[in-house]
Amino acid sequence: MLDINNISMVFNKGTVNERRALDGVSLHLDRGDFVTVIGSNGAGKSTLLNAVAGSYPVDGGSIVLDGEDITNMPEHKRAKHIGRLFQNTLMGTAPNMTIEENLGLAYGRGSRRGLRRCVSAADRKFFRERLAMLELGLEDRLNMKVGLLSGGQRQAITLLMATMITPKLLLLDEHTAALDPKTAEQVMTITRRIIAEDNITALMVTHNINGALSNGNKTLVMNGGKVLAVLEGQRRENFTPEMLIQLYGDNAAAISDRMLL
Amino acid sequence: MPRRILIIRMIPVDTFLYIAQGAFEQGLIYSFMVMGLYISYKILNVADLTVDSSFTLGAAVTAVFTAAGQPWLGLLAGIAAGAAAGIITGLLQTKLRIQPILSGILTMTGLYSVNLLIMGKSSLSTAGKENVFALFSFLGKGFSKIPLLIILAAGVIALLTVFFRTQIGMSVRATGDNEQMVRASSINADAMKILGLAAANALVALSGGLLQQYNNAASADMGVGTVVIGLASIVIGEALFRRGGVLRGLISALLGSIIYRCIFAAVLQIGLDASYMKLFTALFIVAAVAVPTLKRSGKNS
Repeated sequence: MLDINNISMVFNKGTVNERRALDGVSLHLDRGDFVTVIGSNGAGKSTLLNAVAGSYPVDGGSIVLDGEDITNMPEHKRAKHIGRLFQNTLMGTAPNMTIEENLGLAYGRGSRRGLRRCVSAADRKFFRERLAMLELGLEDRLNMKVGLLSGGQRQAITLLMATMITPKLLLLDEHTAALDPKTAEQVMTITRRIIAEDNITALMVTHNINGALSNGNKTLVMNGGKVLAVLEGQRRENFTPEMLIQLYGDNAAAISDRMLL
Repeated sequence: MPRRILIIRMIPVDTFLYIAQGAFEQGLIYSFMVMGLYISYKILNVADLTVDSSFTLGAAVTAVFTAAGQPWLGLLAGIAAGAAAGIITGLLQTKLRIQPILSGILTMTGLYSVNLLIMGKSSLSTAGKENVFALFSFLGKGFSKIPLLIILAAGVIALLTVFFRTQIGMSVRATGDNEQMVRASSINADAMKILGLAAANALVALSGGLLQQYNNAASADMGVGTVVIGLASIVIGEALFRRGGVLRGLISALLGSIIYRCIFAAVLQIGLDASYMKLFTALFIVAAVAVPTLKRSGKNS
């Protein structure tokens, strides 16, 4: 489904501050793969997602999604097939627009937008059903401005917006990190359910090894813009925090306490 | 004799009515500009300074066509010219990545010369030529303007309200609210910005065109300070009618424009020299913007 071939990305190219944020990263995702990504600060986790989503152009390599080379495709065109959530719960929704207006915009993903009404009566009924699935009581608040909701509610709505039209790929960038533990677990449960129900291929950045190992079927370990390991199968099942430290070897100092929790 | 700023005087009732009618008519004419500014400033969240020149552009184009006996065609051509000006500013912002304020200033400055070229001189009179208000001339010369202006304003408000509920219209609104979210929803945010600026400046040009028809004249300097007048009208409208959806915003822009003209007329009647009006408008906006800030810092200290 997704083939990342030897991509690199250099920040501040040609200056003393030059930094290789991604250094020859390759990754293959099969349809339905749910890959978690873990790494220290500056390991390139978010940069990898930015590269796939098209927020920044890559400096080398290629990205192929479902057989289509998207390496040089602008961000909004890739978004037809890629759903995305950020750590910042404000980024995924328009705060001064209502819940149904936000959902209406996301519901047009991939299709040509015209002068049809953005939210029809049938759409409204569908949105109500989808919102009810979240079990957050949002289905009765379609005309509420999203800016008035809590971070967890906003993130749940963003998740709905990203998956309402089933994407070929879902990118989750520590999307529960800014939430309190209870809400984070709630949003994570919804995330797992939607990914499983629609058999979505997903790439999720997490900040700790537990979260990385307990979700999905593969785990990508990154450091310094490089892939250290792709854990799967038996090796992944038996993986421990100690083994993560071993894996980092000389770079173990880069591991933060947070990662090992 | 020293120049007097203020002369207090009484006016007879018929003069008052005449002045009030004039203020109402001009308020309606400027309301199209204010609605345009509402689109760029409030919906798109862009301070678009193209307005000062696209207002004049609308007037200049309308004047040239009116001089040739085609006022309606002139108004339409003026609207198209305004939209083109908005597209240029939008392209500067999105494709060339020039800062929004500078983009507007560049288009505004360039258009000044274009406006002179269109008119062929610094002002153009169409006195004696038929204008669009002739449509309602059967109501008598004094009352032919208001019906046409009200019909146009109602039409524009209805059209914009419906438009901003469509998929494209909603995308334009979202672009001003959260551009990141718009791109993530596979919407071309750059195109939405350009479209919004085109619509905004088309309305501004319509406003300029109508003022040209009202005065039977256009001049290269008639647009100076338009942005500030528009912002003042928006501030007045918001203060009175609070914020809400697009429909509410447009109606408060319209009413804000009329109230601004009434204040303008009243201040002139009190005897204030008209040349001070722009200074007072600017100070008014400074005060309106500063009050919430000062209140907040007062609370914090």
